[in-house]
Amino acid sequence: MDLTFTAAEEEFRSELRSWLSAHIPGEWTRPGFWESLDDDESFRLRRDWEREKADAGFAGIEWPTEYGGRGGTPGMKAIYDEEMVRARAPRTVNPLGLAFLAPTVMAIGTDAQRKEIIGPLLRNEVIWCQGFSEPGAGSDLAALSTKGVRDGDEFVVNGQKVWTTNAVHGDKIFTLVRTEPGSQKHRGISMLLIDMNQPGVTARPLKQMSGASEFGEVFFDDARVPVSDCLGEIGDGWRTAMLLLSFERGASGISQYTEFRRQYDEIAAVARKLGRDTDPVIRDDLARVLTELECLRLHSMHVLTQVEQGRDLGFEASMTKLQWSETFQDLWEVYDRILGEDATLDALPDGTDLRPLHAQAMWSRSVTIWGGSSQVQRTITAERVLGLPR
Amino acid sequence: MFFALTEEQQEFGAAVRDYLAERFDLAAVRDVVEAGPGDDGNPAALWTAAGEQGWTAVTVPEEHDGLGLGLVEAQVIARALGAGVAPGPWRGTVLAADAIRLTGSDEQRAAWLPRLAAGEAVGAFTTRGSAADGLPVVEYGAIADVVVAPSGPDAPGLCLVTGASATPAGSYDGTTRLATLAGGTTEPLPGASAGLRRQLTDRATVLVAADLVGIAREALTRTVAYDRDREQFGVPVGSFQAVKHALADLHVGVTMAAHAVLYAAHAADTGADDAELAVAVAKAKASEVALQATAAMIQYHGGIGYTWEHEAHFFYKRARRLAGQYGDVASQRERIAALTV
Ligand SMILES: Cc1cc2nc3c(=O)[nH]c(=O)nc-3n(C[C@H](O)[C@H](O)[C@H](O)COP(=O)(O)OP(=O)(O)OC[C@H]3O[C@@H](n4cnc5c(N)ncnc54)[C@H](O)[C@@H]3O)c2cc1C
Repeated sequence: MDLTFTAAEEEFRSELRSWLSAHIPGEWTRPGFWESLDDDESFRLRRDWEREKADAGFAGIEWPTEYGGRGGTPGMKAIYDEEMVRARAPRTVNPLGLAFLAPTVMAIGTDAQRKEIIGPLLRNEVIWCQGFSEPGAGSDLAALSTKGVRDGDEFVVNGQKVWTTNAVHGDKIFTLVRTEPGSQKHRGISMLLIDMNQPGVTARPLKQMSGASEFGEVFFDDARVPVSDCLGEIGDGWRTAMLLLSFERGASGISQYTEFRRQYDEIAAVARKLGRDTDPVIRDDLARVLTELECLRLHSMHVLTQVEQGRDLGFEASMTKLQWSETFQDLWEVYDRILGEDATLDALPDGTDLRPLHAQAMWSRSVTIWGGSSQVQRTITAERVLGLPR
Repeated sequence: MFFALTEEQQEFGAAVRDYLAERFDLAAVRDVVEAGPGDDGNPAALWTAAGEQGWTAVTVPEEHDGLGLGLVEAQVIARALGAGVAPGPWRGTVLAADAIRLTGSDEQRAAWLPRLAAGEAVGAFTTRGSAADGLPVVEYGAIADVVVAPSGPDAPGLCLVTGASATPAGSYDGTTRLATLAGGTTEPLPGASAGLRRQLTDRATVLVAADLVGIAREALTRTVAYDRDREQFGVPVGSFQAVKHALADLHVGVTMAAHAVLYAAHAADTGADDAELAVAVAKAKASEVALQATAAMIQYHGGIGYTWEHEAHFFYKRARRLAGQYGDVASQRERIAALTV
């Protein structure tokens, strides 16, 4: 058992820390600051800041240097994620491109795709969307009906995607498209990399229950995609998608713990302010959540160990998703119970602004849906990990 | 970063599990359960193996013929014994040795540690009652050669009790034997302090939690195996989503509990700052999960799971007993709240 990071990793941490403390404006870390901005303003600030961060060498931490990354260890990536949370750095504007698309392109992209996609992604010059879900194909992703018809060197794409994160701010979208007419289920799908800034693509914001519009819908109306912008083999998009989704695992749990633990402490502080900290039911609730958060921390260290040893976690990733998402949701349900009669007020009597906390409580309703709903994760765990029959 | 068991540590557990599978399976456990309180509950062959294979020597220093390992290795053994719902005074013996190692005099160490390590002497450990006023429900109190117990009701002191008179106490968990103790010769452990007593209780708590994790994992594994084969409505019942999802949640829970116990053992061994929190988290989680998994074992076996013939009740009853030991879910959560709210 050795729960420490290497000297080089710790050195990286202190270098990053000092850069962050010099480059994150004080007002950004004030609770409620980001919620007070409109979506466009928030996006612009975050995008500029990330470019600055990439220019300083703090991007693509675990990516090979040939792609402009830092060639760091999985431990450094874990440290990076953790320090971002610690410094209250703003959320990334390009989560899907960075976490999913880039490693997939590195693994199976053509040389031209690698060159074209990875560098701009690293500097957030191109914001990527993930176009998987459709109105008729959510959990059952293979039910998708967006079509791509070959026309010379291009595919002509028609159809609709929905709940697409960053739909309005996105520049490009990696989509699953049915490119073999009449094909069914997992066959005949291709992953196309579509330019959203063309006449055949329309993105419309969807307003979320929180009031924000982080996601939207995307319409393809004779949108054109060069055949060379297919990632992986044509018709083999399902396999590409599975590879892409497998990058969901990794070591970000340690940073999630750091963030959720801070929120736990904030919620405990609200309980104290309201005198609810002596209520035995509330104490039991909070301790249950803390227990699960500690389990998340330890589980993440175990996952990091596995990643460092080059082990494939495979379907175990479903367990990580279940653990963090269910715990996070539980935390915010406890928060509601602590507020009790005042559950929906914008501020406490002493003036404490509750809106940032409420925003998290709203957000918690989404985490058991996206990225594969809890029900889907349970089925995967039961069938693929425990071996129960389909 | 390395948060996992090493191969050597895994082998410890594998050796115990292999022995139980080959030489002391659930049929043998059943013999002990059905023999009832008249029997001492410590099958000779199993106890001999515990001594010969080093299960009892694990945390005893090498200078006293032990293996000189830590609670991390001990919890691996505890987990394997829990998975086999194995009877016998292993935990009490290890904890008595730990107490003597940490708080005993040189003479006490020399007198007891080699014998406890070899399994020649049976040890017991309790934090309830006091040597002066009597000791309620000591695990394997009737066959213990030496019992580590609180000296007085409130004092931080610990002492060794030998030659006490034992009265068997009934328990529906037939995989162990309990007794109340009175009288006997007492001898103080000179190094005992409130801090060390706390530490020893934490170590005991971790070993109980590990046993619970073993129980929970095995209960789940057996249930999955059964539900893969058992057919109703023309299909395996394990293909029903209501069953699948419950078992998937348990898989997550048991895995998390195993992480929590492993870390608690490490934290206790190294005196980490968060050791107290880690122990409380481990016990709360392990107790909760073992209660859920063993109840599910009965539920997802259907009627057969409720019969005496079926082994589910060994797991369920042992889980219930251990879930309450050294603090149940609610009291561990109160401890966690005291540290974090
Ligand atoms: C905040 C947010 C951001 C998102 N961002 C993106 C994005 O960027 N790109 C993208 O492609 N998609 C995105 N999504 C969509 C998301 O991936 C889907 O919502 C998700 O896959 C579920 O599909 P659905 O909404 O159609 O629900 P449905 O699949 O219709 O499910 C409805 C309910 O039925 C349950 N259910 C479905 N199938 C089963 C089953 N087999 N067994 C048991 N229960 C089942 C589900 O768990 C759920 O409770 C986002 C969603 C949200 C909320």
